[in-house]
Amino acid sequence: MGERATALQTSLDRLLESPGVTGVALIDAVTGLTYGVAGDAAQAGTGTEASELAALICERLGAAGAVGELESVVMTSTRRHQVLLSVDRSAGDPLLLAAGLDRDRANITLALRGLGDRAREVLA
Amino acid sequence: MKTPSARNVPALLQALHQEGFSGTVRVSGTPGGTIHLRDGLIGAIETPGAPTATSTLLASGRIDDDAWLAACAAEPDLDRLDLHLVATDLIGGAELEVVCTAAVFDGAFAMALSPPAGWELTEREPTLRTRPGVEPRPLAEETTRRMALLSRLWGPAGELARVRPEPVPGPENPEADGRPARLTRRHRELVESTNGRRTPRDIAFAGGRGLYAVMLDLIRLERRGAVRWENRTTPDGRPSTAPRVPSAQTAADEPLPRAGPLPRRRPGGGFPSGDLGARGG
Repeated sequence: MGERATALQTSLDRLLESPGVTGVALIDAVTGLTYGVAGDAAQAGTGTEASELAALICERLGAAGAVGELESVVMTSTRRHQVLLSVDRSAGDPLLLAAGLDRDRANITLALRGLGDRAREVLA
Repeated sequence: MKTPSARNVPALLQALHQEGFSGTVRVSGTPGGTIHLRDGLIGAIETPGAPTATSTLLASGRIDDDAWLAACAAEPDLDRLDLHLVATDLIGGAELEVVCTAAVFDGAFAMALSPPAGWELTEREPTLRTRPGVEPRPLAEETTRRMALLSRLWGPAGELARVRPEPVPGPENPEADGRPARLTRRHRELVESTNGRRTPRDIAFAGGRGLYAVMLDLIRLERRGAVRWENRTTPDGRPSTAPRVPSAQTAADEPLPRAGPLPRRRPGGGFPSGDLGARGG
């Protein structure tokens, strides 16, 4: 959406410093609109698919009687982790931080914690 | 100012993008709106059909009215107001960028609910905008995607914009029988904001949410049996532009929405019907 680095772009670029993180995207959890991408966009995933997946999981969890809000989704393949993290926000519709991780370089437990901490800083 | 020939608004915006145009496109019609461009990029869209970034910031409580007025007094140039809001820590730069960008896409969606009657180019008008702005092509593609998704999930988006949902008492509505809530907080608040009189646009303005997000959530809630509405009963071919209702107002003292204009008869009988395709915006 432009060439100049914005505050959002700077925040997303910093997330690439986490070990094994190859791509991140900030996504509107309701509309699927992607607000920003850093690193490999294909590794982060598309906004519409991420938001639809999160909505489906929320709906099914709710139908099963689960109480509370979705915090994260982790999908693991033989070579990659795909992570969706809910981003805290003081007001407005929820956002998702989508991240692609290289399994060989990322410790998923540490990565989840690190991304979670940094996700809160994205919109600070 | 010269108005370049273009077959529709997206084509016009694309041509202006290639020219690096800075100025304003005034689109007439219902709802119509104003599109602000800087160096060929779309920085803001203002339309009666959807909340602007300013409406979103104030209605959602991100910035209170007093702080907003003080900020506007300190920085009278609206084109630079975003810089002032961030510099004074009223809002984070990334958060403001998200709000302003979302408002651009939502405004384009709202304007696409009905075909435009025409457009004209005018001089640059200062406004709160996203920087550097949105390119016309992804904006048009996203608008088309939104219209197509709503059509696939429910039906014509223009008709969905006119429904007046109400809550359904039952297990999905925790207020009805005291069972544990199975809806997310966002969905619960949306259900609580319905009363059978508000349209999705009214709800969007009251809550400081996007029109498209509200419509999408209402479809999901209808499927879950949490809300309901009378389908496809309005002969008028345009979305509601009834006055918005403040969020703090309760259902009991809420005024009835103002009635729209009477439908116009045409020679040969029948009512006019709107083209609900994604041609505008």
